[in-house]
Amino acid sequence: MFDNFFSLDIPGEVISSLIVMIIIMILALIIGIQARRQDPLKKPKGLLLIAETGVKFFDDLTKDLIGNTLPNFGGFIMGTAVYLFIAFIFGIIGLPSPVTNMAIPLSLGLTTFLGIHLISAKFTRWAYFKRYVEPIPIFLPINLISMWAPLLSLTLRLFGNAIAGWTLMTIIEIALRNLSSMIFSFMPVVQDVNWNEIFILPIPKAVLSLYFDLFSALIQTFVFILLTTIFIGQEIPEDFSINTLERRT
Amino acid sequence: MNAMAAAVAILGVIPSALGEGLVCAHVIDGMSRNPEMYSKLRTTMILACALVETTAIYSLLVSLLILFVG
Repeated sequence: MFDNFFSLDIPGEVISSLIVMIIIMILALIIGIQARRQDPLKKPKGLLLIAETGVKFFDDLTKDLIGNTLPNFGGFIMGTAVYLFIAFIFGIIGLPSPVTNMAIPLSLGLTTFLGIHLISAKFTRWAYFKRYVEPIPIFLPINLISMWAPLLSLTLRLFGNAIAGWTLMTIIEIALRNLSSMIFSFMPVVQDVNWNEIFILPIPKAVLSLYFDLFSALIQTFVFILLTTIFIGQEIPEDFSINTLERRT
Repeated sequence: MNAMAAAVAILGVIPSALGEGLVCAHVIDGMSRNPEMYSKLRTTMILACALVETTAIYSLLVSLLILFVG
């Protein structure tokens, strides 16, 4: 049964995605144990303080955008955001970043896509099918095509950003290696390793990594969770939305 | 020939860059008129920039696909 287990052709990105999940699981366990032992009258510190700030931030964000109709939605958003951010900056340590494989952005996009349709079906019941024949039944094929637009745009946005940063970094790395081996060409080749290639590379790559890994990761994570919240919040009908609640009170 | 096709495909980023500039210019206009709205406007600006960026990313993907796959 396990004969072919170790010769499975799993892409490296999927394995690093599993590593990211294990890291998040351990972090969540540590925070959970700390939160259970914490005296509620004392100030939290360290990891627990960061976790509480994060929970408050994401809860406020979802309450601002979709109101109180989905009380647990902040947790889903925070989980997605933490996974996505760690996955984006995972390339820093040298292993392949999970987002540079098409499968992982597609999975995240599918989560949002299913969320949109399930939430819509939950709130509108059988009137859910009315969205395919609006405004007139002639529009059915157009609606059937345009329902895939959020999935496509979310997936390609994540994948395109990750792959663009990776491509630029790789091009710059090759150029700087060649430049360095031209300048330091007087150094001898020891045991078939070109030691003269590595002299210019580290500092520019570190500075560029700040933008292409950290800044881009922050922006893309924020955009992804914001778009997910707005897409799903759109499906909640007016009777449940926060605006009508405010008007009544 | 593939390189030329990729170069033509990447031209799609020009209007996207212009659009992003317009978004930022108008947000800065709004911020200078009404500084209390700063944080709300910033959130909306990031969202709008990301939406405008989508077309640029599509053309980038097309050109990368032409270069490395096609």
